[in-house]
Amino acid sequence: MNDRRRVNGPAEGTRRPVFACHVDTASAPTRPQRQREPKAFRKIALETGLTRSASGSSYIEVQPSPPPASYNSLIPHSSSLKLACSVHGPKPLPRSAAFSPNLVLTTHVKYATFATRKRRAHVRDASERDLGVHLETALRGAIIADRWPKSGIDVTVTILEAEDDRWWADAPDSHDASWGMMNVLAGCITAASAALADAHIDCLDLVTGGMAALVSDDENPDAPPKLVLDVDPSEHRSIVAACVVGYMPGRDEITQLWLKGDSSNAVLEDGDKRTVHEALIDGAVTAAKSVHAVLAEVVRESILAAGQ
Amino acid sequence: MASTIPTVAIPGQILGPATFYSAGPGTHISENNVYASIAGPVIVDPAQTKTQKKSTLRVARDLLDAKRAPVQKPRFNTLPAVDSIVLARVTRVQRRQATVAILAVLDDASFDPSQYTPDNEKFASALTVAPNPESHNNTDELRFQGLIRKEDVRAVEKDRVVMEEMFRVGDIVRGSVVSMGDQSFYYITTARNDLGVIMARSDVGNMMFPASWKEMRDPVTNVAEPRKVARPL
Repeated sequence: MNDRRRVNGPAEGTRRPVFACHVDTASAPTRPQRQREPKAFRKIALETGLTRSASGSSYIEVQPSPPPASYNSLIPHSSSLKLACSVHGPKPLPRSAAFSPNLVLTTHVKYATFATRKRRAHVRDASERDLGVHLETALRGAIIADRWPKSGIDVTVTILEAEDDRWWADAPDSHDASWGMMNVLAGCITAASAALADAHIDCLDLVTGGMAALVSDDENPDAPPKLVLDVDPSEHRSIVAACVVGYMPGRDEITQLWLKGDSSNAVLEDGDKRTVHEALIDGAVTAAKSVHAVLAEVVRESILAAGQ
Repeated sequence: MASTIPTVAIPGQILGPATFYSAGPGTHISENNVYASIAGPVIVDPAQTKTQKKSTLRVARDLLDAKRAPVQKPRFNTLPAVDSIVLARVTRVQRRQATVAILAVLDDASFDPSQYTPDNEKFASALTVAPNPESHNNTDELRFQGLIRKEDVRAVEKDRVVMEEMFRVGDIVRGSVVSMGDQSFYYITTARNDLGVIMARSDVGNMMFPASWKEMRDPVTNVAEPRKVARPL
């Protein structure tokens, strides 16, 4: 759909200026390297109840990786995930809707126009609708819908800063897929779960999002790709495949699963008997379990804060 | 067993075995255990009657909910249910029915409106602020809708009811839910002495006081207006 009522920026963006200091290759920025262990996470800041007009809300932020000491460019070194989620309802269904004995869940995911390095449109595009459907699948498996007849809830996620799909200085086609979406979805699931708990909607468990990927950083194309958790796509030369799960640790159930990439030719390290898919899903579940520890602590803190 | 029950629970947290406890509001049963399904303080209601052997575990929504005594009919949500008393604002009066927007669900008789804070806005302001018909962003559409049919207005002389003499737009009504209704409306009755209009403004705009079961009076102009008045508590 065309957005004709606003003055939008140029659709394809403008070329960034190249400063003289970057012309000599010695001081040109280099790709950031992952400093963490393959199974270590970036720090997460999560808070609930910030949007007063919503019945439940949350805000999640992931710590950006620190820039190298020699970095002196004006372009931000790396992006990190920042998103806000609000839950409205339970509220009556619209007049045109049919009778429903269960809670009707609707999800909206929207990038802010300034969320990515390339400006986003005001109107939701296909990828945002896609994320919305994935989020709805993840939450639907966790909500006990028959406790709320004749009512609906809206879950709205606004992405304030999205993960990069690739390192910003790479050539545009060097990383083919939009890997940043995977991290965004994992964050959306966790944030929505916190907001649902804040809104006191009955859930089977706190569903959390986890992300794992197979990356190859080696110059040698035959080297086996490595399995890493909580991947910042800008830190890796190429990503072979990635996986996001919505996971309920208490019941050991996966409510949502998204695998992306071509892992048919990938070989795991020696001694690993699992298939590539199993390894990816296991990694994402491990990631989700770790995020659950944060989420549980935040929800518990919010109850204690309300009691004072 | 009581020592192992957590004081505060988060969704998905195990509370106790289902063989010892029955699941109250805010919990669910899975694989013979009672789990919390919302976040909040855990409350154990001891078994009280002969028919009920197990104590009930429930998770309270807030502090007010936590202090509430156990009731016969537990409520698993905050929506209007059959027999619950609601406060509603009249939004439209027609010849055969009046539509209302439900402002609050009062759970039991020992309810104190001054302590009550619904999720979205202060309860007191919802009662006292008159709706502005010019404003298009009013929140009545976001509230649950109720319907008072002509035959549900009062218990006697049902066929002589004239809706315009019972309710006016903007009145605050105390009613009881008779049925979940169709896809959009809850059906509400005021056919009891303690149900009916509790707050109303006169034609001039002054807040009126109840004068009799069918009349409210403006204290300034001393003009009486017909209403189906609720008996003051």
